[in-house]
Amino acid sequence: MKYILMMNTMRAGAGVPAWPKADLQAHIAFMLNLNRDLRDSGELVQAEGLSFPDQARQVRAGKDGVPITDGVFPESKEFLAGFWIVDVDSPDRAYAIAARISAAPGPGGAPLNMPIEVRPIMSAPPPEML
Amino acid sequence: MKYILLMSSTKAGVSGYRTWAQSDRDTHMQTLGAIVKGLVETGEFVATQPLAEPTEAKVVRGENNGLPVTDGVFPEAKEFLLGYWIVDVDSPERAYAIAGRISAAPGPGGIPTNMPIEVRRFA
Repeated sequence: MKYILMMNTMRAGAGVPAWPKADLQAHIAFMLNLNRDLRDSGELVQAEGLSFPDQARQVRAGKDGVPITDGVFPESKEFLAGFWIVDVDSPDRAYAIAARISAAPGPGGAPLNMPIEVRPIMSAPPPEML
Repeated sequence: MKYILLMSSTKAGVSGYRTWAQSDRDTHMQTLGAIVKGLVETGEFVATQPLAEPTEAKVVRGENNGLPVTDGVFPEAKEFLLGYWIVDVDSPERAYAIAGRISAAPGPGGIPTNMPIEVRRFA
């Protein structure tokens, strides 16, 4: 079964963190190592990082089909920073991987314990939606 | 350049969708299906994926004795991802245009939902 693990951030915490370089390198090495492990176990479907929220746009259809774009979001909005799609045998395995991501090292190597949202992915749209 | 088009809604919004007439839902899904078909033809399609209900969402924070700490309690105002489209396009404007078409997908009575679609570039 497939799960998406989403790392969200508020706009306030959304730039490159002002951490010492060694801490940033340790964080990135941790993530690369995690992705390697998930690839080796055959569980990684896709992992992507998103650009920073200052580039995010909200689009609504306007009249005549012309898109109306807007970069104004509420202060409290959570922005997706990146995600992993994993194909695992159980929800517990998805939660375990999320916990590993959550514990990625921050400043001074202390675990960040950031919240990771875990959602099952639909394998196909439910029949009533087709 | 690759963009992800994110469709999100609150739990209340998801409940609202369930009150639509079946024919309105069918038209909505057919429109979204036609948009994907068009993107496949232009070679811009990368992936699309609907997510399961927000009621199945969990948030994981760290570990306790090697076990993940899970919680299913979210603020009422939280927006949940309903689904996404990943496209590979020549310009941000093209990504916005595709998002505009998705936003204009018909809702109840065939009226465009004009729901907001968040457009983000991959790093």
